[in-house]
Amino acid sequence: MLGLGARLAFLHLGPHTAELADIHRNRTWAVEIGVERGKVFDRRGLENILALDLPVKDVCADPDAVVSSGQVAVVSAKLSELLGLPVSDVAQKLDRPGRRYACLKRSVQEEDSQRIAALHLPGVFFEDQTVRFYPHHDFLCHVLGFVNHDGIGSAGVEQRMDKFLRGCPGFLESEKNALRKEIYWKRDRYVPPVEGANVYLTIDQNVQYIVEKAIDTIDEGHDSLTWKGAWAIVQRVSTGEILAMVSRPAFDLNDFRAAPDDAKLNRALGTVYEPGSTLKSIAFSAAFNEKLVTPETVIDCENGSWMHRGKVLHDYHPSGRLTVADGLKKSSNILTAKLSIQLGDERLYQYMRAFGLGQKTGIDLPGEEAGLLRPRSDWSGISGSRMAIGQGVAVTAMQMISIYGAIANGGVMMRPYVVRQVVAADGTILEEHRPEETGRPITPETAALMRRLLARVTEPDGTGKRAAVEGYQVAGKTGTAQKPVPGGYSSTAHIASFVGFLPAQAPEIVIVVVVDEPQPIRTGGMVAAPVFKRIASEAARYLDLRETESSAVAMK
Amino acid sequence: MLASTSSVRATELLHDPSFYLRRQLLWLVVGLVLSYGAARLDYRLLRRFVVPLSVMALTLLVLVFVPGIGVKVGGSHRWLGIGPIRLQPSEIAKIMLVVGMAAWMSRVERRATDLKTGLLAPLAGLGLTLVLLIAEPDFGTTLLCGMVGMLILYAGGTRFSFLLVTAVAGICLFFLAILHDPLRLGRLLAFIFPEKYPATAYHLAQSKVAFIKGGLFGAGLGNSIQKQYYLPEAHTDFILAIVGEELGLVATGLVLLLFLAIMVSGLFISFRAPDTFGRLTAFGLTVMLVLQAGINIGVVTGCLPTKGLPLPFISYGGSSLVGALTSVALLLSIANAGSEQPDEVSRSVKDRTHSF
Repeated sequence: MLGLGARLAFLHLGPHTAELADIHRNRTWAVEIGVERGKVFDRRGLENILALDLPVKDVCADPDAVVSSGQVAVVSAKLSELLGLPVSDVAQKLDRPGRRYACLKRSVQEEDSQRIAALHLPGVFFEDQTVRFYPHHDFLCHVLGFVNHDGIGSAGVEQRMDKFLRGCPGFLESEKNALRKEIYWKRDRYVPPVEGANVYLTIDQNVQYIVEKAIDTIDEGHDSLTWKGAWAIVQRVSTGEILAMVSRPAFDLNDFRAAPDDAKLNRALGTVYEPGSTLKSIAFSAAFNEKLVTPETVIDCENGSWMHRGKVLHDYHPSGRLTVADGLKKSSNILTAKLSIQLGDERLYQYMRAFGLGQKTGIDLPGEEAGLLRPRSDWSGISGSRMAIGQGVAVTAMQMISIYGAIANGGVMMRPYVVRQVVAADGTILEEHRPEETGRPITPETAALMRRLLARVTEPDGTGKRAAVEGYQVAGKTGTAQKPVPGGYSSTAHIASFVGFLPAQAPEIVIVVVVDEPQPIRTGGMVAAPVFKRIASEAARYLDLRETESSAVAMK
Repeated sequence: MLASTSSVRATELLHDPSFYLRRQLLWLVVGLVLSYGAARLDYRLLRRFVVPLSVMALTLLVLVFVPGIGVKVGGSHRWLGIGPIRLQPSEIAKIMLVVGMAAWMSRVERRATDLKTGLLAPLAGLGLTLVLLIAEPDFGTTLLCGMVGMLILYAGGTRFSFLLVTAVAGICLFFLAILHDPLRLGRLLAFIFPEKYPATAYHLAQSKVAFIKGGLFGAGLGNSIQKQYYLPEAHTDFILAIVGEELGLVATGLVLLLFLAIMVSGLFISFRAPDTFGRLTAFGLTVMLVLQAGINIGVVTGCLPTKGLPLPFISYGGSSLVGALTSVALLLSIANAGSEQPDEVSRSVKDRTHSF
C-alpha cells in the first residue's frame, strides 16, 4: 500500500516535462480553415455565374493497407476502370508495402468519387479539395483569367481581383481526441475564415456572346478567308463600362495549362498594332478643334500622288480637290497629311497625347500595353504627316476604342473598366467602380461635328458602307494598315479594323473590331466592317437602343 | 467520477451521456438494498447454508459456458444474461469462496495442521473454483482468489510449508496457463518490454499520461482528455487514472487511504469476531477487497501487468459493485455480532466509498 502511494505520488508530481511536451505536441490540433474563392458574375448578377469553386476529391490510397488486404489486383482494376488510368500505373502505385500514402488522381468530380466510395475498396480514401470551375469553358476567357495551382489568380479578373476573391483562411488551434476529432472545449484560438468576395463584372454575357459568335464567323460571306487573330471590344459610351471583350485564338479556362501562351494573350489589351486610317480622326478632330478648317474647306489632293519632303504619299482612291468632309469619308491620306502639316508637329503631338496614345487606358485588367508614341525629339520631318494617317505610331484596340468613345461622348474620355462591384460574402459592398473621366481632348462642338462626318463613312458610297446597320445611323472609320516588317511595310500582311459607334448622333455603344492578317481580302472595309455590322445590329436590338429616325438618316 | 468518465463514450456510442451512470445507480440501489438485508442478517446463517450456497455459486460459474444463458464478450465467458440483466457469477463465487473456506477451516479447527483436512480438502474446493475461473478465462480473478484462498488457509492454521509448496505449484500452473494464452502472454511481455509491444503497452502509457497530467489537484472534474478515447476502458478498469487526471493526487491518495481504512477496520472486525468462522470470513472478505484494489492500482500505475480487475466501488460494473457492497455488509454483520455497538470506523468507510 505504501509502495502504491509512493508510485501514485511519483506519477502525479514527478518531473515529467519531456513527457508533457510530447503529449502536447501529439495532441495539438492546428489547422488552417480553407475558404471558398469568390464567384465571378456578369453585370446581371446571380443568374450568370462565370467562375466558381467546385468541391472535388483527390483519390488516395494507403498502399500498405491495400497490400495487406491481398487485393492489389482487384483494387487496381476497379480504380483504373473508374478513374480512366492505366492498370499498370495504378498497380505500381499500390503495390508498395510499408508506404502509407499514394495519390492516385487529383480533382475527381464528386459523382465519380461517390461511385468509387460505394465499392468500399480496402485502403482507398478521399481528400477534399476545391477546383476553380468555369462553366462556359472558353467563353470570356481572356477577361476572366484563371487561378494557378497555388490558388492565386494568374490572369484577367482572377489576377486583378485576387485579393478580394481569395478571401482569408481561418485558423484553429485546439486539441484532438484519440479519434482525431476536435475536443471543442479545448479550443485555444479560433480565427474565423473570411470567405472570398464575389465580383460582378460590367460584361454583359449576352453582348459577349454576340461578339464571340461574330468574331468566330469572320469568314461568313467570304470564300476561304483566313486570319491569324482577331479581337473586339464593346464599350458603353457614357460610362466607359466594357460590355464585351473578345480575343482570338481562345482557350478553355478549365484546361488552361494545355493552352499555348499565344492563345492566352488578351490581344484587345496586349497587342500593339499600327492602326492606319482609323487614327486619322485625331488629325481631323484637332484641325476642327483648333478651327484651322471647316468641313467645307477645299483642299487639293494632288490626284492621288503627292511628294512631300522627298517622299511620295499615295491615295487609295485618287481625287483632285476634296472638301475636308469628303476627305474623311474617302479616307484620303494626302488630305490628312496636309491637315497635320497645318497643325504642326507640336500640336499634333499634344492632341495624340490628349487622346491617350502612348499611355495605358488604366483598365482594371492585367496585361495592358501602352502602345507606341515616339517623343517629339525622335520625330523626323515627315513623322507628323505619317503618324496622322496611322503609320509610325502603334496602339492597342483599347486605346482606339477610347479615342472614338471620346468623340461619341461629347469630347469626354472615360476610363474603361470591367469590374462593376465587389461584394463580400456577408453582402457588404467592398468596392464599387463609378464612371471616371480621364480627359477632354476636344470640345463638345468638335465632337458633334466629328460624329456627323464619321456617320457619312457608312453611307452607300463611303469606305465603311458594310458597317451600316438597318434602322440605326452608324458612325465609324475603317482601317487597313500594312504591318511593319524590317526595312519597311509588308504588302501582304495587313491589320484590318473598324471602329465606330451608334446611334451616330446620340451614341450609346462604341465598338472596335480588329482582324490580324486576313487573307486573301485584306481591307478593314471588307473584313472588319461586316463583323462590326453583325455585332452592332444584334447588340443594338438586345440593348434596345433607340432607332434613328429615317429623316435624320436621309438628312446626312 | 463514473458520471464524468463514461459520458464521452456513452454519448458517442448511445447518444446518451448518462447511460452508464443510470445503470450503475440502478445497481447501487440493488446493492444497497441487498447489503442492508445482509448487514441485518446474522452471518452465522451463512455457515448453515454453506453447502447449498457453494453449490449454487459453482453452478453459476459453470452456466457461463452454456450457450443461451452465458454471454460471450470479447472472447471471454464471464457473464450470465437473464433478459436485460447481466451478472458476473465470479463476484458471487468470490464471496462464497471466502465463506466456504472459512466454514471448512472453522470446522476442522485444530486438525488444520493435517495434510488432508488442512490442505487437500479445502484445496479441492479452491482448485475447482480456480479452474472454472481460469477457463472463462479470467486470469485476474483467478490469481486474486488463489491468493485470498491461500491467506485464509494460512490464517486457518494450515502449515506454512504446505502452503509454500502449493503456492509454488499454483504459480507454475498459472504461468503455464498464461503461456497457452497469447493475449495474456502478450500483456505480460508488453509489461516487461514495453518498447517491443507498443500496441499492448498503449493502455499503460496512456494511463501514466493521465496521472502525469493530473498533478496535485487535477485538471478539474470533467476535464479529462484521456477519457477522450485515448485511454480505453476508462470507465472500468482504468477509472483511477481518470480520477487522477481530473482530481489529482489529492483524490487518488484519498482512494488509497480509504482502502487502507477498509483494511484496518476489516482486520479489526476479524480480530473482534465472536467465532473462528466469523474471524476467517471477515479476514477473507477484507483481504479480497483490498488485494483487488491493490492489484488494480498496481496495474493502473504501471507496477503490475495488465489484468481485467475493476477497482471495487469505483469502476463501472453492476456485479462488482453489488459484490463489494455485500462484502462490506457481511463485515458489518460480523462486527455487529462482535460487539453491541457497530464499529464506527467501518460504517463511515462504507458511506464514504459510496460517494465515488
